[in-house]
Amino acid sequence: MLEAVQLTKRYSSIPAVQDLSFTLRPGQVLGCLGPNGSGKSTTVKMLTGLLEPSRGVVRFDGRNIQDDLTSYRACLGYVPEEAHLYPYLTGWEYLEMVGTLRGMQRALMESKIDLLLELFSMRPARHAAMGTYSKGMRQRILLIAALMHDPEIFIFDEPLSGLDVTSALIFKNLVQALGKAGKMVFYCSHVLEVVEKVCTDVLILRRGTVIAHDSVANIGKILGTSLENTFLHLVDDVDTMRVAGEIVEVMRAA
Amino acid sequence: MSFSQRWQRYRERPFWRLVELFVERIFRGGGDTDTEGLDLGVGLVLTLLAMPGGFVSVLLFDKYGSLLQWLRGQLHVDTLLIALPDEYFFIVLSMAVTGAVAVWRWDAMFPDRRDYMNLTHLPVSSRTILFANLVAVLFLAALLAIDVNGASCVLFPMVVSAAQGTLPFFLKFGALHAGAVLLASVFAFFAVFSILGILMALLPPRFFRRVSGYARGIVVVYLVTLLCTSFAVPDTLRRAAGSAPSWSFFFPSAWFVSACQLLRHKANPAMAELARLCLPGLAVVIAVAFAAYAVGYQRHFVKIAEIADTPVTLHKSRLCFGFLEKGLLPTPFLRGCFSFVAKTLMRSEAHRLVLTGVSGLALVLASQALMNAFQSTTSWRAAALTPDALSIPFIITFLLIIGLRVVFEVPVEIRANWVFQLLLDADGQESEPLARTVIFAVVLPGVLVGTFAVYCFLEGVTIASLHILLVLVWSVLLTNIVLIRFRKLPFTCSLPVFKQHSIVILISFCFGYLIYAGSTPEFEASALREPLRMLELLPLVLIAWYVQRHFANNAIEIERRMIFEESAPRTVEGLRLSE
Repeated sequence: MLEAVQLTKRYSSIPAVQDLSFTLRPGQVLGCLGPNGSGKSTTVKMLTGLLEPSRGVVRFDGRNIQDDLTSYRACLGYVPEEAHLYPYLTGWEYLEMVGTLRGMQRALMESKIDLLLELFSMRPARHAAMGTYSKGMRQRILLIAALMHDPEIFIFDEPLSGLDVTSALIFKNLVQALGKAGKMVFYCSHVLEVVEKVCTDVLILRRGTVIAHDSVANIGKILGTSLENTFLHLVDDVDTMRVAGEIVEVMRAA
Repeated sequence: MSFSQRWQRYRERPFWRLVELFVERIFRGGGDTDTEGLDLGVGLVLTLLAMPGGFVSVLLFDKYGSLLQWLRGQLHVDTLLIALPDEYFFIVLSMAVTGAVAVWRWDAMFPDRRDYMNLTHLPVSSRTILFANLVAVLFLAALLAIDVNGASCVLFPMVVSAAQGTLPFFLKFGALHAGAVLLASVFAFFAVFSILGILMALLPPRFFRRVSGYARGIVVVYLVTLLCTSFAVPDTLRRAAGSAPSWSFFFPSAWFVSACQLLRHKANPAMAELARLCLPGLAVVIAVAFAAYAVGYQRHFVKIAEIADTPVTLHKSRLCFGFLEKGLLPTPFLRGCFSFVAKTLMRSEAHRLVLTGVSGLALVLASQALMNAFQSTTSWRAAALTPDALSIPFIITFLLIIGLRVVFEVPVEIRANWVFQLLLDADGQESEPLARTVIFAVVLPGVLVGTFAVYCFLEGVTIASLHILLVLVWSVLLTNIVLIRFRKLPFTCSLPVFKQHSIVILISFCFGYLIYAGSTPEFEASALREPLRMLELLPLVLIAWYVQRHFANNAIEIERRMIFEESAPRTVEGLRLSE
């Protein structure tokens, strides 16, 4: 079980995340929603151990992850928001490096890389430099890197960006399958429909604090409407139709 | 209307806005990848480029000052004659610096995929982009020529005419000097630009990227050779009897200095012959550069859309052989990171360029040492035991070890280092063993095997074994010293900040070179005649070993932790109680 307990992160005394608490159990797929600047990325960095909280702890199976980051990260699969990769390495070389750093046995690692590349339709480009990959291809390499060592926890930060329709559909089903297989999934996204479809629970952030945390079904029931409307109601006090109309007016101004 | 107002009006025109964009791109970055690391500010770059010419001019006051000449008893000095080597050096310096900058900005001089994606959908014709980029390149060439030579164009004639004291002499000397160095700068720039254009015009895009790295390396080696031979060429030219030596035709710097001498009526027939190549050579280089640019632009930029999605397939390589993995790379950290570091060294252009430059310098110095070894003898066996010949492996190992250590500090795709931050144990203390393994793997096998084979053939197994043993011990000690408190994964940390002791370290390396590649071979040359004398080095080795162990062991816990970001030392450390 992964627990975030009163997580707070301040940058030069300005809070980016404040008193964030939640629990992620095996089989649970927790969606994290929030507008830009709401603290999603900071939360993800604290959950992965890339950033140390100013206050509060992240516990995995009851232990503070900061006490033994190496063994915690061995159980973690992470797909970052931006696909920053080394452009001169090939997809195969990158995955081989990640597998080696994770201490995977070579034969198992190579067979998994081969099979996953095939399943993600990346086999033909596996020996091409990643600098020549499209955004979607780079994203698929990151997904394979996160999956290949069979981790307990998955943290996906905007994993669908750049993926083609087929890969995106496969991925959505994959997230659900991971949940059913007893994995813990923390899923950050801007795409409300996907969160609504693949997540069991949802966490909505605004200006670094939690403003809603419940199952997707319950949140819908409470407000009696779709997740999209709930999100707009809770987070942004903006009349989107009016803003769109004004944009068209400005565009057409002589 | 003021200049800034006029420029603002020009900026409103699409063509000049494009020129501004391309000038900005040439200075601030280029290429298709978002590489980071060597992007310095424009002002700092221009200042750094202007400095060598200024410094060298100031240092020459000592040579040309009339009082100092009088004190030395040099009463009748032919200023133009003694100025020849310095004139040649300034021409070479101008060519080397300008050429090096052109090589550095190689990827940024042509419009790339980013320009294509941003500009081609706008109502701007392909021809406008072509000419705007050409104007930007011409602007860069002019700016470099003026910046690199500006200080020397004023200071050097002042220094030389100090003893003459006449304004006409100063003006005439200054005009000729300025003409020569400026034209040499322009020549060097367009020579590099034409090589780039020819490669783009002739090679298919997928091969161009592979070949361009090697081409840049060859240019760097050529420029280093030009610099390292600058002290020998003028004297040889001055003494040349009859026609110019055939090798001098391959040194454009010799054409320009000869043209200067011809216009000063000081040229011998060899110089006159070379001087005639000056202007035609410059015209040919510029013409070739323009033609190749136009063809290369047509072949690459206009067709980017067709080639953009064609991934270049690399050969699947396995750098880690089984025995290497089990013996030298026992942990996952070392196995994974060794492969990463080796591939970065081979494939990252910036790193390959720096290493090629260092290797070129090592090659030139080693060649000079070899030539010196044969000055007093013609016998291979006798020459092999001279300090000069013995110093060759020391020169190569010293420069390569220091070069690699410097290259480790240059970051590559720093935003991609998240994967190492996520996967590596920061307290594992394996950075130093990794760096040491890489240095040994890159430097030692070739040098030791080559040296052993040559000395085994010339002097027998005993001498060969002793020689490579000394090279090995010295290399290990030097590697350990340069890696004291090294706690980074190579290429993944931001550039180091300037520290006050950096200059001390730089000077230490210069002295270190004299001991490592100068004094050691001197001692070895005498000790090899009585091999037991080699034991005299043992106390020195033990002291060096103890000192570096002492520094390594005395590091506190936080100094051993792996870092991914270099932070400037704070003048005042705040308590940050609010956090």
